[in-house]
Amino acid sequence: MHADLTFEQVVRDHQDMVFRTLLRLTGSREHLDDLAQDVFLRLYRTLPNFRGDALITTYLYRIAVNVAQDEWKRRRRDRNTHISLSDDTSDWQDRLPHPDHNAEQQIQEREFQQSVEEQLQRLSQVERTILVLYHQEERSYEQIASALGMPIGTIRTHLHRGRKKLREALQQRQTKERRTTCTTNS
Amino acid sequence: MHDEQLDHDNSAAIEHDDNLDPRLTRALETVPLPSIPADFAARVANLLPARRPVSLTPTHYGQNAILMGIFLTLAALLLLALHATGHAMFDLLESLLLAQFVALAVWFTIWRHSLR
Repeated sequence: MHADLTFEQVVRDHQDMVFRTLLRLTGSREHLDDLAQDVFLRLYRTLPNFRGDALITTYLYRIAVNVAQDEWKRRRRDRNTHISLSDDTSDWQDRLPHPDHNAEQQIQEREFQQSVEEQLQRLSQVERTILVLYHQEERSYEQIASALGMPIGTIRTHLHRGRKKLREALQQRQTKERRTTCTTNS
Repeated sequence: MHDEQLDHDNSAAIEHDDNLDPRLTRALETVPLPSIPADFAARVANLLPARRPVSLTPTHYGQNAILMGIFLTLAALLLLALHATGHAMFDLLESLLLAQFVALAVWFTIWRHSLR
């Protein structure tokens, strides 16, 4: 009973991190509760083998990445390659505050954010994971390397490559949009 | 006129590209705000599989096995002594059983002593 209460506290302390990491990695709110639940149940099963309280976040990141990978595989199996970024419940960007921006800037930023999310989902699993852990979760190279079981050099390479791919994709998109605007204006 | 328009577009594009990196970083660093059910932690805690309770009642399987081994060896020794024929094979077997008996008796004594 005491162990369960302690574990409930562990869940409460880390649930925000698990939910937002899973949301960014899977790109959808679909089954998010179930996936997060799976992460914590897997953590509970590994607890007897795990040493040191400081490692709990590293463990959780590793498990969250594994659960996200399983979800990607499941989606691929279901041939449901469509990523529901535009569904009713996945508009988390809508709730982000932009206090100093006017309406037009806000729309532009929201569109840009959505483009980034879409392009993020087109990256390889490992590139997306590393970008999310580095930028969103503000993990160091060492922590990411430890969570993913990869050398630091590989993490750096994937991070650089992922950012480059994203930048190129966004540039292409912007150029295309600009051309379309020019054509419609002329 | 058309060239002027192109120049203007190009300079706008360059300016746009300069902003791309910080905008990209900002977008990547934006933390999503997923809605977490209020009872999520309690729900997970309820789903935890029950751990097998650790038995606090001591079992004596090892002790019983050693005692049984001692008695069996002793019985075998006695049986061999009753049917002794003076054959070298019997002597060898008896010596082996005696060594086994002594070893078991010593081990049992040390083990009991270490439990105190």
